[in-house]
Amino acid sequence: MGRKVKDNFAKGIIYLATGITLSVLIFIVGFIFVKGIGLVNFDFLTRDFNEKVFYAFVQNEDVSMSIDEEALKQKTPFDDRYESLIEGPIYVDNIGAAIAKVTYKNNATEHEQLVISYIEKNSPLTNAADSTGKEMRIGTDYVIQSINGTDFEGLSLDEAAALIKNQSDELKIKVVQPGGGVKSNIITTLYMVLLSLVIAIPLGIFGAIYLTEYAKPGRFVNTIRFAAECLSGIPSIIFGLFGMAFFVVALKLQISLLSGSLTVAIILLPVIIRSTEEALKTVPTSFREGSLALGATKLQTIFKVVLPCAVPGIATAVLLSIGRVVGESAALLLTAGTVAQIPGTLLSPGSTLTVQAYYVAKEEGNIELACAIGIVIIVIVIVLNILSRIMSDKLDVFNKK
Amino acid sequence: MEAIKRKKLRERIIENIFLLCACVAVISLLAITFFVFYNGLAPFVSNSYSLWSFLTGVEWRPGSNMYGIFYMIVGSVLATFGAILIGVPVAILTAVFIAEMAGSRAGKVIRFAVELLAGIPSVLYGVFGLGIIVPYVLKISPMAQGESLLATVFVLAIMILPTVVSISETSLSAVPKEYREGSYALGASKIQTIFRVVLPAAKSGIMTGVILGIGRAIGETMAVMLVCGNPIAGIPTSLFSQIRPLTTNIALEMGYASGVHQELLYSTGVVLFVFIMIINFAVNRIVKTKVGN
Repeated sequence: MGRKVKDNFAKGIIYLATGITLSVLIFIVGFIFVKGIGLVNFDFLTRDFNEKVFYAFVQNEDVSMSIDEEALKQKTPFDDRYESLIEGPIYVDNIGAAIAKVTYKNNATEHEQLVISYIEKNSPLTNAADSTGKEMRIGTDYVIQSINGTDFEGLSLDEAAALIKNQSDELKIKVVQPGGGVKSNIITTLYMVLLSLVIAIPLGIFGAIYLTEYAKPGRFVNTIRFAAECLSGIPSIIFGLFGMAFFVVALKLQISLLSGSLTVAIILLPVIIRSTEEALKTVPTSFREGSLALGATKLQTIFKVVLPCAVPGIATAVLLSIGRVVGESAALLLTAGTVAQIPGTLLSPGSTLTVQAYYVAKEEGNIELACAIGIVIIVIVIVLNILSRIMSDKLDVFNKK
Repeated sequence: MEAIKRKKLRERIIENIFLLCACVAVISLLAITFFVFYNGLAPFVSNSYSLWSFLTGVEWRPGSNMYGIFYMIVGSVLATFGAILIGVPVAILTAVFIAEMAGSRAGKVIRFAVELLAGIPSVLYGVFGLGIIVPYVLKISPMAQGESLLATVFVLAIMILPTVVSISETSLSAVPKEYREGSYALGASKIQTIFRVVLPAAKSGIMTGVILGIGRAIGETMAVMLVCGNPIAGIPTSLFSQIRPLTTNIALEMGYASGVHQELLYSTGVVLFVFIMIINFAVNRIVKTKVGN
């Protein structure tokens, strides 16, 4: 009897612990989705993080409205960056768009702004040019601040609309492209993944080939394995320190995409070496012997027989690595920076999604936005997972044939 | 003859390329150690700051040339210890459930959950901590802020779960079936078998999981940075005190530091590095002797 009570008690504790583990996961993922989902939409994914002010040159061309007044009111943009709608919208023929007056919630200031609430399909705004003559389009949610040198500040909506209508020549409009999106971070993350894989995958695979196919077991192999193990135990902030001292300062690569991806490549190395080694070891020795007996050289055997058999294992390594790069933050904070922009060259900085999430949570205290970025990260991780699994399943089938 | 020679030469060259690639791991490790130590020991070698006041100081005020990290070491150690205390039992029991008690379906679900938990980037744990744990701690805390040792402990405890669970589960599953059957044959119940036979048999594997958990906890930066408070001075005196672990000290100030300040951030890295080495070696020893016996 006593034993049964004790056993059930122990069982209860085990169930409790498992329950805690499960609920922690559900709680975290749930928290991130519930908090962040309100901000995730098409604009969030396609806009830059920072707003951008520039002059746009627009043809003065009448386009009549194709929808009725009611529908126009429905199209008034309203997300939580706007405090309230004050006037409007009014449709202005010669720009083929409707404008509305709203109070615009900025971090520091709260003041009235003219925002473009609706644009006709063939509006001249969709075919504007910036000061360098580059083609660009002005979309809804863009704020307009002045036209041909006259400021809108202090004008009522009607006056502003009349001002726009009275222009006779080409329009030079000062516009503010809305920010708040993570497009640049998504692209930086992709660049970072690609670059670091391009660096780390060949190094890791070739290294693993040497360890399994060439090296005789002994001190040398053990040293390398020991080094790889030590590397995987080092916290990523130390990699960041090293990346900063070596790539950023000593090699003068600056805080940049390249410094970041080189640093991350070192972090990936042990994962790739280990998984590839394990994959290579599972290829039966008889395969190699058969190939050698047919007169193939060792190199031919490796590339035509051994490696193809190990592809699923290597694919797993790639999958793990991608997840690692997407999740990496401490090392990238020190080597790739926190600037939310698409890096134009290898030597320009850029923040990945995770670094941006940190920056937003820490520097701006904006948990919702951080969670919204978190949703993008989690979805990317899951999608990559599924894609790679499908790929490696296919390769498995291919191999069995 | 020429062709064969050339082929052989090519094979040799490629073999050496492979060798070089294999050496990159070793070279990287040496380079990391060298660069961190070189920069980190510089201020003490050139006598621009005293090692003693660096290691024993309890204030970090770069403005007035005070760089003491003792309170950070205490913070790091306490946070790690707390996380192990809470996280390890939960993790081991979860591993027991997966390996010994769950049917194949429940086991799969929980294993998947643990994998997902491992895949969540650490920043998001920090965001979760800042959004949920910190406000809760604030409710029960006598202090004016929720960022604290306690919040850090909770976040780290969650973060070490996947590491400890997956490694413990692997080592539990590796215990031979005969051990369990022997125990049952002696009249032991399932629970008795788990706690008296299977767990002790898997001890060294579980220990490895715990070490890796300690390594993860002490090296964690981004999640901790959001929930620990990062004070500029003071040894933590209660669970509600703010702490500033070694890792966050580096990450917070590396971006703008220069001169001695920057070098001393590298020194902080050296201390962290040494810590990780000590932990790894010490517990490796324990595991080895236990296995030896």
